[in-house]
Amino acid sequence: MPALKEASRAKPNLASDAVTLPRLGFWGMLRWVWRQLTSMRNALFLLLLLAVAAVPGSLFPQRSVNPSTVTQYLKDHPGYGPWLDRFQFFNVFSSAWFSAIYLLLFISLAGCVVPRARAHWKAMRSAPPRTPRRLSRLTEYGTLELPERLGISAEQALQDAARLLRKRRYRIGLYDVGSDRPSVAGERGLIREVGNLLFHVSLIGVLVFVAIGGLFGYRGQKILVEGDTFVNTLISYDSFSPGPNFSPTRLDPFAITLDKFSVKFDRSSKAHYGQPIDFTAAVTVTDKPGAPPVHQTLKVNDPITIGAASFYLVGNGYAPVVTVKDGTGKTAFSGPVISIPSDGAYTSLLVIKAPDAKPSQLGFVGFFLPTALVNDKGISYASDPDPFNPRLNLNSYYGDLGLNTGQPRNVYTLDTKNLTQLNGRDKPAGGIVLALGQSYTLPQGKGTISFDGIKRYIGVDIRHDPGQVGVLISALAALAGLVCSLFVGRHRVWVRTGTHPDGRTMIEYALLARGENHRLAAEAATIRKLLQQLLSILGTGQEQPRDGMSAATGNTGTTGGTTAATRTSAKDQ
Amino acid sequence: MGTIAPALGLGLAMSGCGAQDSLARQANAGDNKNYIAGDGSVTEYGQGERKAPVVLTGKLFNGKVVDSTAWAGKVVVLNFWYAACAPCRLEAPRLEALWQEFKPAGVLFYGVNLRDEEPEAAAFERTYGVTYPSMKDKNGGVILAMTQYVPPQAVPTTLVIDKNGKVTSRILGIADQGTLKSLITDALAGK
Repeated sequence: MPALKEASRAKPNLASDAVTLPRLGFWGMLRWVWRQLTSMRNALFLLLLLAVAAVPGSLFPQRSVNPSTVTQYLKDHPGYGPWLDRFQFFNVFSSAWFSAIYLLLFISLAGCVVPRARAHWKAMRSAPPRTPRRLSRLTEYGTLELPERLGISAEQALQDAARLLRKRRYRIGLYDVGSDRPSVAGERGLIREVGNLLFHVSLIGVLVFVAIGGLFGYRGQKILVEGDTFVNTLISYDSFSPGPNFSPTRLDPFAITLDKFSVKFDRSSKAHYGQPIDFTAAVTVTDKPGAPPVHQTLKVNDPITIGAASFYLVGNGYAPVVTVKDGTGKTAFSGPVISIPSDGAYTSLLVIKAPDAKPSQLGFVGFFLPTALVNDKGISYASDPDPFNPRLNLNSYYGDLGLNTGQPRNVYTLDTKNLTQLNGRDKPAGGIVLALGQSYTLPQGKGTISFDGIKRYIGVDIRHDPGQVGVLISALAALAGLVCSLFVGRHRVWVRTGTHPDGRTMIEYALLARGENHRLAAEAATIRKLLQQLLSILGTGQEQPRDGMSAATGNTGTTGGTTAATRTSAKDQ
Repeated sequence: MGTIAPALGLGLAMSGCGAQDSLARQANAGDNKNYIAGDGSVTEYGQGERKAPVVLTGKLFNGKVVDSTAWAGKVVVLNFWYAACAPCRLEAPRLEALWQEFKPAGVLFYGVNLRDEEPEAAAFERTYGVTYPSMKDKNGGVILAMTQYVPPQAVPTTLVIDKNGKVTSRILGIADQGTLKSLITDALAGK
């Protein structure tokens, strides 16, 4: 910007000089900002910046992916963790700085596309540009000569050329008709710019629909043990992330019961022995209150869609059924316990809390091993994902579980601060090891624990993304636009005719590409061939087109290889 | 770079409004508490805005069937809970006290247990001396039925149903004893 450059150059000068400078003014300043923002250079810079700004999203745990890993990270890094949190490094994709970049990119795109679309609309509706005075300056240039005996006038040759171009899907415009040097201008490939604009508009579409999905959608998680039912209302969720414009009334009421979950592990291949092949959940779906229940199958990447919500199978594991009796002999806890698998052999961590045990609350923490083996150091480990030899290895505690104050507690961890350990490898009573059907009596008369059965559970994601279809359509349109703009070449062609004083009809033509077009030479050759064919057939019907064979014979104003091929077949006869 | 500043401000303002929301805060907490908590907010439904009379059936832990048709002419309090939910444990003695207070007036109290098997629920009731009965709703029947009227949206949720079977008020989260008392009193008075 020259005005600004001058201003900065003038800075060291006296204040009286500054007054004489051209003033940008408020509106001028705005216009300048707008120009900068919508410049191609800035758009590319913002795109690069967006990519750079997304990097922390993969370096730090993200709340949008798993909030509990963020909580753990903050606990592990009390020094700089809170500072990272303050600068939204755990919510990168909804952070102010990330939003700022993509909003600016969005504005930049819109500010670029709108004027371009307007200009292209005008270009599409107006005739192709006038024929340049000196066609011979263009790289793809050639001439044809028709001998007088063919009896084709310049006017007639022009009309034929125009017809030919129209047939080849050129938009054409006739210029100087009636003069002694009439010409036709043709243009093709305007769809390239349309594709380009479609690509940019579709990118905006993707942004808009992603935003709509984020604003009005929701996403929640729930763990379902075989036999459990999930009802799509907030009370049934384990965790739930609403979009900023979410309203609980958007939850379609439906119920899904997990009847049975089966996993098939590979038993035939040596290399992949024990790896999962197939996960199948048999579920019963009730679409709305009072609707008849329907049996359906839920698989990975094959969600069940009910109303606006989609129900995805995202996790699974074992839920050993455990009964804890307290010191008074009464049952304090009984039911399946979710265990979190940590490896391919389903070495699963589990925590059991019996807050209603008397005289003191009981807690257990340990592992569930579907097929347990013991190594030479006496340590149990899981060797297979199927429950061939299931074992529960537990430590036990008594005391205050911290549940009675109303404060939320992590169900997958045991806060041992106010607890006293009863069982463990280093305790006199040792650790608890239970096979299926076994029970164990806790020391000090605190109660008993028994391992009664095994159920499987699934983790499900319930999602509603109203922008999903829009994103898909926009993405496909962007692809189509990109293909169009990459593979269609936009170029112009001009043909001018005239009559030589010696009676020959002269034809000259030239092609010009807009932007890069590697097929321009081929198109020039094709047009030349077609012109030759057309005119010779129209003429006597005897001439055989034999182009490109004659030597250069000094055509006026042209040089180079193209010229070498310009001697017409008609003349060679 | 000066152009970035206003947009940054805009972005801050936009992210600011969502963060206040209780649901969003819970989503970001990452505490693995495994339930959606309420903030104690009370919604009262005026005569004109009440939904149709509640129709549902449930099964108590002792096997008895509960049918809403038997509730005609009575005020009913429904409390959605499960044993391991921390706020439910805090709330239980208050509900029991109110139940003792209103039992003579013919008010019915029912718990609706979302997740527990019978022994676990019974242990909870022993701990807090809860004497009003609870329905076992692991199959979600009662919750699904309630989504047609006033959906329970947090654990715990407490609903007060008037003599005509219509929901008059809802508390999401731990019920304040005084508040719930006045809600029941209003329902009894036919307000």
